[in-house]
Amino acid sequence: MKYFSVSDVLEFKLISNCTQQLLGQVKDMNFTTITKWEFKGTLSSRKFLMIFLLQISVLLLMIVVFNSFTANLESENGISLTPSLSGFASMDVQDESGLFIDRLNPEILDVNRSNYNTSMKRMEAGKTTGFLMVPGDVVASINAMEPVNLNLYLDYSDPKSVVVLDEVNSTSKIISTAITASWVNSLSPQNTSTQNFKQQSSGESLPLQIINKAMMAIILFLPILLFGNIIMDSVVGEKERKTAEILIAMPVSHADIIIGKSLASILLIALQVGIWILILLITGFAIKNPLLVYAFILMASVPIVGITTALSVYAKNYKEAGIGISILYIGVAGFLAVPALAYISTRSTFANISPMTVVMRLFSGEVIPLTDYAVTVLFAFIFSFLSYWVAVKLSRRDDVVFGPRPGILRLIWDLISFKKV
Amino acid sequence: MSDLPSDSRSENSDLKIILLTQYKREVEGKMASEDVMIKIDSLTKSFGRIKALNDLNLEIGRGELLGIIGSNGAGKTTTIRIICCILKPDLGDVLVDGHSIQTDPIKIKSMIGYLPEEPNLYERFKARELLRYFAELYGVPKGEIESRIDELLELVGMSDRADDKINTFSKGLRQRVGIARALIHDPPIIIFDEPTMGLDPATANTIRGFIRKLKGKKTIILCTHYMDEAESLCDRVAIVNKGQIIDIGTPEYLESKVHGDIILKVRVNNPQSIDTNKIKSINSVDAFSIDGNEFSVSLNSRKDISQIVDVFGEEVVSVNTKEPTLEDVFINTVK
Repeated sequence: MKYFSVSDVLEFKLISNCTQQLLGQVKDMNFTTITKWEFKGTLSSRKFLMIFLLQISVLLLMIVVFNSFTANLESENGISLTPSLSGFASMDVQDESGLFIDRLNPEILDVNRSNYNTSMKRMEAGKTTGFLMVPGDVVASINAMEPVNLNLYLDYSDPKSVVVLDEVNSTSKIISTAITASWVNSLSPQNTSTQNFKQQSSGESLPLQIINKAMMAIILFLPILLFGNIIMDSVVGEKERKTAEILIAMPVSHADIIIGKSLASILLIALQVGIWILILLITGFAIKNPLLVYAFILMASVPIVGITTALSVYAKNYKEAGIGISILYIGVAGFLAVPALAYISTRSTFANISPMTVVMRLFSGEVIPLTDYAVTVLFAFIFSFLSYWVAVKLSRRDDVVFGPRPGILRLIWDLISFKKV
Repeated sequence: MSDLPSDSRSENSDLKIILLTQYKREVEGKMASEDVMIKIDSLTKSFGRIKALNDLNLEIGRGELLGIIGSNGAGKTTTIRIICCILKPDLGDVLVDGHSIQTDPIKIKSMIGYLPEEPNLYERFKARELLRYFAELYGVPKGEIESRIDELLELVGMSDRADDKINTFSKGLRQRVGIARALIHDPPIIIFDEPTMGLDPATANTIRGFIRKLKGKKTIILCTHYMDEAESLCDRVAIVNKGQIIDIGTPEYLESKVHGDIILKVRVNNPQSIDTNKIKSINSVDAFSIDGNEFSVSLNSRKDISQIVDVFGEEVVSVNTKEPTLEDVFINTVK
């Protein structure tokens, strides 16, 4: 076992050593045969075809959902994420002012205009669950800042009375909040905006245009995450099928095997993303700069495939790799989406570390400065280098491939101490 | 096999070379450096706390068929995995035709055809596709790949199944494809790890036939549990135990080291009634053991056979004599 000394690291001997090793390996590499056969083998496998078709169906389904989502946003009704309870419970209301009756949610209650005598008979007959009586002078009382007494009659033998009570309470709260806000606003100075100051609106939903871009970016990045299973099968499958032994016995380096297999996965992602972009264009989605968008999505796939490969090399079996990749991809999705969404509000250059930010900006036809591109490319390069370096390092270890496998802490220590194994 | 050495020398000169080499191996204890194809030097390897190899040394001659025998976990597979550059040793080195596994693993891998214990092949491929894949990985020139595949499929009797998927093959057929795969690049060294393990007698015999065809033309290492296989195929046999070579030599040489020239097997009705002290007192008896109703008596002279049979008296059911086998050597050496 040899170790690099601290002075070696400080004097950049390590970096020079790594670079020399890397250049030497690239020169002698023979990964194309592995890539060719992995690509060919995966394309012809039934499992892949099934995944491929499932992914296309997911895309088509998402297009349908997305279209109905945007249609809802554009409509005056807006969009409700709660399930509709219309027809479930009914309530009679006597409200001449219209203050309450217009604000009760028709998705939750069937509301009937009525009076005391009729409603009592209806309640006895079991035709309605409750009766709300709002005083006729409610608006005058509010304006005079006097308390308002509502009378609510409920049929407690009916379990739906809980729903009616909840809805009346929440409507009362909404009205009360609105009245308070209106009173506070009446105290605030009006017309504060001048030529030099822009009024900042707050609390409103994201503009439809931004949601559109974010959704499209998420859709196009999905194939990368959906291919985790294929990458896992390509690497962990060698251990599970016990073919790793004969593959390692071939006159190819560990780097050839890792790069060859990863490249095949990247090519499959390229194929899938290409098809998805075509489908989106055909179904009427406007994608500006489709080629650049394609290039940046593929660039993002390189480090993601790398880190998935590294994890698969370490995993003992499919089950372990599956759990690991599920957890890993939550982090990856967060890394892609959070900076992209943050960019919408902050416009920070740092948000460009996520390729999804650049892709979103490309969708809108924004002119992106070269420095912003550079941030994305640099980050993707560093991340790719690190992930493949770790994957190759792990694959060279007998104990990782054939066992007994060392613990993660031991591996991390070996990696950070630059131990030559 | 296009690159196999031509058989131009006369039988007499061949015999002289074999005898001379054998003399060097057994009397001088080591081979001349030009005769050595694989030199294993102080190999040590541990898996966690388990020491699989413990300062193992071995030399394998060019064109030799060396058998490695040993019990489970003795270190046979670890040794051949290190020679194939699949595992790295903790200490020591292996030189293959002068190339070190530490500095030249790719070169060494290209010189070796390896057939692991389990014929694990890529199920999704057809036999021909699989051989094509490995031919490309081994760098066989494109123009030669198809003819080489045809030649090997013919050799292993799989020409009619060339376009069938691997997942439709039995273990025996997979082993045949595995042999073709190991030979696809016409390597000078072939390593077989338990090639007949778990196969039916007929298929095992066919596999032994392939190995016999290659004998003398390639340097071969054969790891096996079957003593008769090692005895009938190998030029020399190395016995591995607890990660070390504990004995090595031709099968005849090893067998001669077993106590006695002959083993007497006497089956009796009632073993308790036999006076074993009488057996021990006979001069030519080296050792004896009892297995159920059968006594095994190792003798260094045939002259006392009748005297031993007399000890068993009327209890005797049957008497057989047997020459010591490699199995006896193995049991004697390892116990």
